[in-house]
Amino acid sequence: MKRYICDGTSDGLLSAIASILEEEPKPEEVTLSAREDTLFEEGLFIATDTVRAEDLFSRLKERAPDAAHTIYFLMLAEKEGMENSLLHYIEQAFMHGDKVNGYLTHPAVRDIVTVSRKAARELHRMKGLLRFEKLRDGAYLAQMEPDHNIIQPLAYHFSRRLRAQHWFLYDRKRRTAASWNQGSLRFGTIEQFTAPALSDDEKKIQAMWQAFFKTIAIPDRKNPRLQKSNMPMKYWKYLTEKQGE
Amino acid sequence: MDTLAKLQILSGAARYDASCASSGSRREGAPPGGTGNTSQSGICHSWSDDGRCISLLKLLLSNDCRYDCAYCVNRVSNQVPRASFTARDVVDLTLEFYRRNYIEGLFLSSAVMQSPDQTMERMVRVAETLRIEERFGGYIHMKIIPGCSSELVRRAGLYADRISVNIELPSQASLQRLAPQKEKAAILEPMALIGREIQESLVERKKIRSAPRFAPAGQSTQMIIGASPETDFQILRLSQGLYKKMNLKRVYYSAYVPVSDDNRLPVLAAPPLLREHRLYQADWLLRFYGFSAEEILSDDAPHLDESFDPKTAWALRHPEFFPVEINRADYATLLRVPGIGVTSAKRIVAARRFSLITPEGMKKIGVVMKRAKYFITCSGRPFEKTDRQPALIRQQLLLGEGSDLMSPRQLVLPGLYV
Ligand code: SF4
Repeated sequence: MKRYICDGTSDGLLSAIASILEEEPKPEEVTLSAREDTLFEEGLFIATDTVRAEDLFSRLKERAPDAAHTIYFLMLAEKEGMENSLLHYIEQAFMHGDKVNGYLTHPAVRDIVTVSRKAARELHRMKGLLRFEKLRDGAYLAQMEPDHNIIQPLAYHFSRRLRAQHWFLYDRKRRTAASWNQGSLRFGTIEQFTAPALSDDEKKIQAMWQAFFKTIAIPDRKNPRLQKSNMPMKYWKYLTEKQGE
Repeated sequence: MDTLAKLQILSGAARYDASCASSGSRREGAPPGGTGNTSQSGICHSWSDDGRCISLLKLLLSNDCRYDCAYCVNRVSNQVPRASFTARDVVDLTLEFYRRNYIEGLFLSSAVMQSPDQTMERMVRVAETLRIEERFGGYIHMKIIPGCSSELVRRAGLYADRISVNIELPSQASLQRLAPQKEKAAILEPMALIGREIQESLVERKKIRSAPRFAPAGQSTQMIIGASPETDFQILRLSQGLYKKMNLKRVYYSAYVPVSDDNRLPVLAAPPLLREHRLYQADWLLRFYGFSAEEILSDDAPHLDESFDPKTAWALRHPEFFPVEINRADYATLLRVPGIGVTSAKRIVAARRFSLITPEGMKKIGVVMKRAKYFITCSGRPFEKTDRQPALIRQQLLLGEGSDLMSPRQLVLPGLYV
């Protein structure tokens, strides 16, 4: 079996896949992985070619938009070791079009769809669980530590929703940030983060939300297990309603 | 009284209302200079200590009620602290919470203050202020106070995404006995009016895109379970009628939580949660699985089974329908298999386009076989060596993990779906 390797970036990966799909008569019989820092490389290295990577992705978007969407979320998952599955997923996607996501009995399809779904699920969750705090200067800040790198689509969601306010998202794990102010959305990194001062009435509003959170539960129906399965504890750190419980 | 104290009283008084869905409406992007949009699929923002999704700021405008409905904490004869919000209070709370992403929007109901009209007027003012003055584009769900004028119902529908009239109890007799000041007509008439207005607005908007929207997320209702003697069969038939004839989006069931020792009410040790759970399951069968109330229950067996979910109970009564062949059965037939839900059925149909599904394949595509295995074959081969005697299957289901006896863990509460 022929083995190929590429560099670990998404461009490197996509250009390798493009080259294999174009040049290999039987792509289902080759494997692809990311180059590791070992002395002996086992396999043929395919160099990164951004143009080729972009071309592949735009052809895929045309042939199978759902599959392109799936790959977008796969990239947000930042999961290692998916190169080979992705190669065979894309091969199947060109063959079957958007029906490909239903081919869950195919191991590569299942791998990709499963990982991608997880990222999509976390994005949906964070749309609800993200909490903003009002700062002294009137801007709003939300901090998070999600498992997946979802800051971009999340910021896009809030840019349509909280349009009239100035806000920041900060991913503490990846030190990445997004900011929205008067119609412009920007992304960047923050190396040194110091929590800014809160506005004067912030604690008052937070106390009201905490009070609401407590009273809205029906005492006869307490169910902490259900609560935790719907809202895993890893998200509680930044939840206003879970502070000081 | 400060806002915090009012909030505690008036959210506590609203907590027995089951509906919290924020789905079904699409306001793309916030209005110019304003805040908020809605999401077609709805978003849960938190889960309270009872495990229910919190999506909307759920409040009563007031709990200071003139009426005396036996099953309700806010009835006039009950000694509880009373409070009322001003319209401004509610508007400010909604906006402050929304800006911090605590909520999808507002759910506003109220006790009857001076009169139905006066109460409804003030509720409509809240929605009007939010939409017009504050350019709020988030979700609004408003209750209609039975007995208010149809003009107010119309105005509510222009601002709200969803409006609902609570049917309260499953029969007129019970309504008369337990909520003597409410009339059946005062509940059904606004429901019919809302149904007509929704239809008309849909037709108008097909012609002119800018025609006003009327309650774009539709109408829902709620009834209390276990405070009156109706059977599950009566309840399901009522829901079926509401879905079919009134075009309702959702019927919510709320297990009666004893709040009163009024002798017109049954004495319950605990709220009938399992019954509520079974009714929600049966309701899903009506809405998404192509079942009719008459298939699920009958005059001879008018109550839902406690040990089995309604679909399994139906399957056990209909051995002639099984086994279902996974590689051939159509979608509607797959949906009738216990343990196979909408997602699994869709995945099976999608996967077999590529190749026959093997038993391992079923696991790979993520179908849970715990219950399904007794009712299906895969290319002619059974999964379990059962002789398909209903009695035996029944026993195995009960012994094995196939039964979900008393696990309101799985409670499918309004939230993500529809
Ligand atoms: S009218 Fe509503 S708030 Fe008043 S007692 Fe009846 S159910 Fe309760």
